[in-house]
Amino acid sequence: MQSRFVRETMTSIEEWIKQLRILDPKRVRVYEAFVDTVNMEINGKIYCNVKPRRPFPYTHPEYIIFFAEDDTELGILTDYRKLDRMSRKRLERVLKIIYYIPQIKRIIKLDTTKSRYEWEIETDKGVVVIKTWSRCTRWLPNGKLLIYDVDGNVYIVEDISKLDPKSRAYLDIVA
Amino acid sequence: MIKIGDEESSIEYFPSTEELPAVISNILEENEEVVVSIKSDISDLKYGEDTLVLTNKRVLIVRDNNIIRNIPLKEIESVEVNRYVGSLVLKAKTESGIKSLISYTRTRAKYFEKIIMLINDLTLNQIPYYIVRKHLKEQVEEINKKNSKRKILARMISFAKPFWHLMVATLALMMFSTIIGLLPPYLMKILIDQVLVPQKNFHLLMYIVLGLLSINLTLTILGVINGYLSLKLNQSLTYRIRKILFEKLQRLSLAFYDKYSTGSLISRIVDDVNRVQTFLTQSLGLIIIDITTIAFIGVILFSLSSWLSLIALIPIPVSYIGTTIYRKFSRRYYHRLWRKWSYVITVLTENITSNIVVKTFGKEKDMFKKFTRSLTEFIGMNFSVFKFEQKFWPAIGFSFTISSLLIWWIGGLKVLSGELSLGSLTAFTSYMWRFYQPINRLVNNLRVLQRATISGERIFEIIDADLEVKDEDDAQDFEFKGHIEYKKVWFTYDGIYYALRNVNLKVKPGEHIGIVGPSGSGKSTLVKLLLRLYEPQRGDILIDGVKINKIKLEAIKRQVAIVMQNPRLFSASIAENISLGKENVTLEEIITAAKAAKAHDFIMKLPEAYDTHVGLNGSRLSGGERQRIAIAAAILKNPKILILDEPTSALDAITEEEVTEAIDNLTRGRTTFIIAHRLSTLRNVDKIIVMDRGGIVEEGTHEELMKKDGLYKKLYESQFKGFLKQQKKVEEIVAK
Ligand SMILES: Nc1ncnc2c1ncn2[C@@H]1O[C@H](COP(=O)(O)OP(=O)(O)OP(=O)(O)O)[C@@H](O)[C@H]1O
Ligand SMILES: [Mg+2]
Repeated sequence: MQSRFVRETMTSIEEWIKQLRILDPKRVRVYEAFVDTVNMEINGKIYCNVKPRRPFPYTHPEYIIFFAEDDTELGILTDYRKLDRMSRKRLERVLKIIYYIPQIKRIIKLDTTKSRYEWEIETDKGVVVIKTWSRCTRWLPNGKLLIYDVDGNVYIVEDISKLDPKSRAYLDIVA
Repeated sequence: MIKIGDEESSIEYFPSTEELPAVISNILEENEEVVVSIKSDISDLKYGEDTLVLTNKRVLIVRDNNIIRNIPLKEIESVEVNRYVGSLVLKAKTESGIKSLISYTRTRAKYFEKIIMLINDLTLNQIPYYIVRKHLKEQVEEINKKNSKRKILARMISFAKPFWHLMVATLALMMFSTIIGLLPPYLMKILIDQVLVPQKNFHLLMYIVLGLLSINLTLTILGVINGYLSLKLNQSLTYRIRKILFEKLQRLSLAFYDKYSTGSLISRIVDDVNRVQTFLTQSLGLIIIDITTIAFIGVILFSLSSWLSLIALIPIPVSYIGTTIYRKFSRRYYHRLWRKWSYVITVLTENITSNIVVKTFGKEKDMFKKFTRSLTEFIGMNFSVFKFEQKFWPAIGFSFTISSLLIWWIGGLKVLSGELSLGSLTAFTSYMWRFYQPINRLVNNLRVLQRATISGERIFEIIDADLEVKDEDDAQDFEFKGHIEYKKVWFTYDGIYYALRNVNLKVKPGEHIGIVGPSGSGKSTLVKLLLRLYEPQRGDILIDGVKINKIKLEAIKRQVAIVMQNPRLFSASIAENISLGKENVTLEEIITAAKAAKAHDFIMKLPEAYDTHVGLNGSRLSGGERQRIAIAAAILKNPKILILDEPTSALDAITEEEVTEAIDNLTRGRTTFIIAHRLSTLRNVDKIIVMDRGGIVEEGTHEELMKKDGLYKKLYESQFKGFLKQQKKVEEIVAK
């Protein structure tokens, strides 16, 4: 009841957005990449063991939030591809392990006769055999397709129309 | 005069004097009109019939042509119902105390509900009789219009109207195929009589064989075309009916959804639509065709030999009577079979959905026994059905065999004596079998017709439901300032218990209102009405001086946000759920809203972060997480009026503190309702209203209410005491 005076104006989202720490890619530099952390410089300050995270790993993979070792948020990079070439390369190394999502290039075989479907797929990370439940797909709003296997690993089809006809015919069975 | 419902004449509106107990007409005064009479099914502690007669002046109860109660409406404050195990008792609150009027079983309850509303409108709500009368007359007419069986058939057929050319085409094709299909036996007759027996006319042999070949080819081609057309008709029709239903479902208010369970609605959209579709696309055509075929073949048979035709008719009554008896018994058998099966399913679902209960109580073995027993019973039942079936079909089949043997015998004698040609006899027997087929099919399809009518009725029940929330023609759309007023609002969900009673409330723009009160006192109901999720039976709700039923629904949905007590999420990603409140959101807005609702941290801990799929109804998140996502969505919506129904109930104390802070930010400058059980959540509101049993019983600031020594003080002290107790315990533990 003491707060009536502060309530004169509506705070809207626009005001709050200003409090986000959006980083300027020119003032961010990645020096070293370990398996899942990086050492980096943000606005002239050095941070070690920084954890990069994607808030939208499928829909906007270019969007990165950096967390310090103690989980405080260091800032947001709206498109990491704007970093300088070396920084970008180092960061990508780390992202590739944190977001280990094989891209499906071809479906070699799909066996739907058992309750767990068995797939042989060619991905950008090699050929594998995976097992999924009969309901295993999820369409993303941008038209990409995710496939989850029984253990919770994720595989992505970036562009269905680029697959060969046989692979597409296989996908028609499940998606 | 007018009858409603399937229990014939249990309720009659504006009945004529002959339809009333004789005593009534004797005592009616001038200007007194009987509004409705309704019969109970309990009288004097046994099954029986008491009659309640409502006139525009009083309520009368009649038993065995004696008036046992006679209460003027003027003396009645209100009527209400007490529900017991097998019965309900209707009571009237009068100046001289509560009086029981009439008792009835649950079967009649739905009819009595209407009467209760009616009496309460005339007494409690003081609505002038002429308004009630006009309203009622309209309703009664509406119901009469809908209730005719023949109309249902016509309406069902009207679903197919846009595809009439397809229907006609398939029907014509079917008819044509049937007629062509009738030719071969006749050609056989010619073949036997004019070629084979006299052993001449070889050119005719060639023609006949070619004829048979072309008939076969034509039939095959027609079959394929017909199959394609039927499929097309099928699909267009189901699409159309389902679309109509779905559109209607979206326009219906929540009151409708309270009445029908999810399961029953889905079964209407799936099963009933299928049944109607099958009937329209298959059975209807077949019925027409079969009737024509039967007539057609009948004529041919009689022209071939009238004697033999009479013999051929023998098995028809036998099989008709047989199947009638069969159906009577089989229904029992199949019903039992179905029950056993549904029991198996029940045990199974129970075990899966309540698995946590089964596990925590160590009931796995019991459940297993229950399951195997249910399976054994089901298998046993299957065998008895088989045994039963074996008694029937062979017997009926036998009657057909007998009659065909008779025909060969008598027909054979006639051929030998030269009365009948051999060709005619072969043609006759093969036509005869073609005669039985459509008869059997017709009987079956008439049954399909019956079932389809029932399904049609269930579909039209949805299509005709008038619990719709509609925009009036002169509805406005404008930017709200946030002034809200409730004027004498009455609302009931079920027509019996009023969840809101005469609620009056004024809220200034930007004001913060806290709502407290015991569980079930109507807090959630009060705010739901503001969103027009339900419409109040009496009274008005105004936003900025405009009645909400004159404001475009779209304007309300856009400017009023609600965070529900148990928020449901869409089966989509977290990001999509947060951005429900606004179009074209940026990623920064999503993150900011989540941060404000203290959801960002837990979201970023999920591997798929904002792209995480929340599962059906958000089942993959905890209650508190769902709540915070709902708050984030409300924040993004940037509403003028905000409703928070126990926004922090599922949160731990620390998170609650944080979210409350977020809410304080969020609600700045907006008209806000906060419903809370924890009174600490309400420390920043301008005014607190206290609800009890559907009414506002106290109103004021925390200090004012504490001085009053009423319900609020009680609630506050009980919470505070609990807190003190806890603190003491903590101190004790620390002391050790
Ligand atoms: N959908 C419904 N259908 C029928 N009755 C309902 C429905 N929703 C609520 N009610 C009844 O209306 C009355 C008021 O309910 P309401 O939800 O408004 O209470 P509340 O004050 O919000 O309670 P709580 O603190 O438990 O949330 C209760 O008696 C309840 O049983
Ligand atoms: Mg509630």
